[in-house]
Amino acid sequence: MSKIYDAEKETFMGVPRKRIPWWPTIDYDKCNFCMDCDKFCPHNVFAKIDDEKQQLIVKNPYNCVVFCRACAKTCAPDALEFPEKSETSKLIKKLRSESLGD
Amino acid sequence: MDKSLGVIARSIALKLIEKRPEIQLICPVLLNTGDEKYENFIESAKIIAIDGCMTRCATKLVENREKKPFKRIFIPDMSKKYGIKPTKELTLNEENEKLAEQIMEEIIKELEDVDVKKVLKSPKFEAIEFFDITVDKYHFNVPKEGYYFNENDYWIKPEGKTALLGISDYLQNAAADILFVEFPEIGSEMEQFDDAGSFESSKTVLQLISPGTGKTIRVNKALENNPELMNQDPYQKGWFIEIELKNFEEDKELLLNGPDYFEYMKEKIMKEKNALEQIRSEKDV
Repeated sequence: MSKIYDAEKETFMGVPRKRIPWWPTIDYDKCNFCMDCDKFCPHNVFAKIDDEKQQLIVKNPYNCVVFCRACAKTCAPDALEFPEKSETSKLIKKLRSESLGD
Repeated sequence: MDKSLGVIARSIALKLIEKRPEIQLICPVLLNTGDEKYENFIESAKIIAIDGCMTRCATKLVENREKKPFKRIFIPDMSKKYGIKPTKELTLNEENEKLAEQIMEEIIKELEDVDVKKVLKSPKFEAIEFFDITVDKYHFNVPKEGYYFNENDYWIKPEGKTALLGISDYLQNAAADILFVEFPEIGSEMEQFDDAGSFESSKTVLQLISPGTGKTIRVNKALENNPELMNQDPYQKGWFIEIELKNFEEDKELLLNGPDYFEYMKEKIMKEKNALEQIRSEKDV
């Protein structure tokens, strides 16, 4: 399948998407592999791997919409974690001021 | 009720009728068989649906009767809110009993608020000017002035020390028919980009990502019975909450004004349109 979303070119608030570490982390101690998050996310962040023991992975972290945590809300065992929003917005502000200084 | 979350839901219901005898329990099994017993009752009652788990059977049963619950309680959310983990056993431990007690108190408080509180006058709206664009059969608009947006498609409209918050026309189009809203608590504080309540549409569940930092002072109660206002009039009657601003000048650093958001939105729409066309052409091959 061809690339629909090109993470290389994406920006969020003027900052290259790849410089913002925002995506879910799966806690495999809690995850029950129900795949509700994968079914929910319209951005193909997750993927199911049938042959592996860990059936769910974060395949496309940069597809994840910065500040969106909607998949965590669908997660019954509460197995999805995200970075602190305040840290992320601090970082975005910092990166923006750096690029303005260029 | 084969899991502890379900047992907590049951315990809340029992505590509720003990505390407020005017509350009646509905037998979900009988409701599901479509028995006439509940016909009139369902029509006039305020229904509180207590869902133990993701399957949300209680809510669905009420919806099957074409009614919307007056209040929905979702135990996994509550267990997070109060920081109490459900046990694995079907017999509740002391902590879980306490959780049930707290949720029960919360429901009672809300019932009392509804009884007592005078409905605040809704904000006044004047005619606004829009930028607009039509793509295929969809029409999108963005107010020219007075509104600021984050790139998650939520708006904030400051007025002095307070501001209204809501969703953009683009987001209401993307979400499709909005069916339920869940507000943050009055008095709850939020940082910019924190979650400020959520809403559920026929397609998805989304959390409102706040464009501003502040404290919730009012919620748009009209959305509880008419969530479709968010689709019909996302910038005015479909407002979501009102907050007391902390430092809007600082918030503004990471927000777009009307003209800039309109450009951002157009780009996003065209990207999606191209992606869809690409998928279609690949299918045709």
